[in-house]
Amino acid sequence: MKYFLLTALTLAIAGCNQSQKSEGGDDGSGKKLVVGATMLSMQNEFIVNVSDEMNAKAKELGIELITVDAERSALKQVEQVESFIAQGVDAIIMNPCEVEASSPAVKLAMDANIPIINVNSETSAKPTAFVGSDDTESARIAMEYLAEKLGGKGNVLIMHGFMGQAAQIKRDNGAKEILKANPGMQLLAEQTGEWDRAKAMSLMENWIQSYGAKINAVFAHNDEMGMGAVKALEAAGLKDRVIVVSVDAIPDALQSVKKGTLNATIFQNAQEQGGKAIETAVKAAKKEKFEKQVLIPFQLVTKENVGEYLK
Amino acid sequence: MNNSSSRFKALNQYGIFLAFALICIALALSTPRFFTVPNLMIIGTQVSINALLAFGVTFVIITGGIDLSLGSMVAVAGVTAAMFAHPDTYPLLVPLLTGLAAGVLFGAFNGFVIIKSKVPPFIVTLGTMTIGRGLALILSKGRPVSNLSDTFNFIGGGNVFGIPFPIIILIIAFIVCSVILNKTVLGRYMYAVGGNEQAARASGINVSNVKMWVYTLCGLLSAVGGILLTSRITTGQPNAGAGFELDAIAAAIIGGTSTSGGTGTMTGTLIGALLIGVISNSLDLLNVTSYYQQVVMGIIIIGAVVLDSMGKKDH
Repeated sequence: MKYFLLTALTLAIAGCNQSQKSEGGDDGSGKKLVVGATMLSMQNEFIVNVSDEMNAKAKELGIELITVDAERSALKQVEQVESFIAQGVDAIIMNPCEVEASSPAVKLAMDANIPIINVNSETSAKPTAFVGSDDTESARIAMEYLAEKLGGKGNVLIMHGFMGQAAQIKRDNGAKEILKANPGMQLLAEQTGEWDRAKAMSLMENWIQSYGAKINAVFAHNDEMGMGAVKALEAAGLKDRVIVVSVDAIPDALQSVKKGTLNATIFQNAQEQGGKAIETAVKAAKKEKFEKQVLIPFQLVTKENVGEYLK
Repeated sequence: MNNSSSRFKALNQYGIFLAFALICIALALSTPRFFTVPNLMIIGTQVSINALLAFGVTFVIITGGIDLSLGSMVAVAGVTAAMFAHPDTYPLLVPLLTGLAAGVLFGAFNGFVIIKSKVPPFIVTLGTMTIGRGLALILSKGRPVSNLSDTFNFIGGGNVFGIPFPIIILIIAFIVCSVILNKTVLGRYMYAVGGNEQAARASGINVSNVKMWVYTLCGLLSAVGGILLTSRITTGQPNAGAGFELDAIAAAIIGGTSTSGGTGTMTGTLIGALLIGVISNSLDLLNVTSYYQQVVMGIIIIGAVVLDSMGKKDH
């Protein structure tokens, strides 16, 4: 009977996990602190980096960290937070999928008197604390870099993340702010590339068909899309004439900046965000003093300073 | 329905039930929090949307068809309902009825195209899946439709006598769907059409009518799921429900519905959906990464289909 095998498999997986439990760390009553974390997507390099640092920090502080993957679904995320509440975790860390749609999770945790810390992205409902960076700032830095490179004059294309996500909305606001301040810069077109390299590449190919030599610069909301745009521009032989800048500073993008294909990326500090999220969660769970808003600054990475970021 | 296939059906039903019970016992032993009332309520709530869709697709698969547009119907119905659910605009009935109407129309359109064009349902619904996703984006202008009234948000988030509302809807839907399948002429015709379409036609069954019914029912159930989802996340999301059709089809198949048509039960589908829900819930409780979860789920789907084809060798 296949089902016996499946049951055995389930048990085997359960067994593996039992042996992985870490020791130590308590809330003063001798019980180990348990923190539940729900992440936007464990198939996104940046988020995985944040998550890895959270695990390292949890080990260091001797607390138990349960990490689950919301797989980009706000519904799944709300359900995972419900599960954490039912399990009676001491604190919850949420890396929200959506501004509005993940908000019910914050409310549920607040109603259950469990501290909830949003990491990297925001919800419209106010959590116990927020650890992350101000996404508006990343887009401002990127557009200012473009404005400086273009001498305040030129045609710009913007690639958006998933429409309606906090990062997309804020990066859009930041970019539009700088565009307004530079009347010589024209927005040629804007469209979502859904954070995805392949989609961005297709989008760029289409734009090259439509605008060709008119394109002076591209701002992509994340490196994955920035790399897609670079690929399409290289294939069309236009890369030397078009400046591309994107956000995140993933290893791939840093290599590309070093080679001089991607002009610049904006470094968002995943390690700092993950570590600070755990620290804040532990402080909140132990009822110690903590900062309600931990903002980690962005940094512009160009060929000149890329060496500092390449590990 | 000949003897061997009904005997096999019993075996498969029994097998899935046994597997479900075994896995539950295993999980109860390995995670102390598994068998707590709050956790069981959570599993019930989490299963509700997938189970509703799975009921709908069970009707369709029994008649030998398939519907890949479930997830898109969830989004269209959800966004439509959300557009009428802002506070102090319309009474609660308006978003509910418009959302359900959107699903019914979509399902009926699926049925209409499949009957009239003679194109296989797989291809038709692959097309309408994309059309639906586009419609959801058009309706919502690509932005989540938020700011919904508290009464609307109660549907997915509220409790009645301590039982989450989605579970109540799930139970009602299960009873209604079971009655349709087991106690009505329409249900009998579904099995007949899926078992042998030519024979069904020869014996005077209006096959087109039966197909129209199953795709429309599927649309209606997807709409209920879409309204529940929208209410639970308090937002009408144009990209909601992506991939839901696969989970729903998986639940039906694990529950013993044969993709070649003619066999399947609502009870089996419910257990299939519960099995998926229980496994993902407990693997979360056990802190198993989602990477492994996907592998486990895939193995279970294939295992169920292997059983299904073992039954077919009897014919």
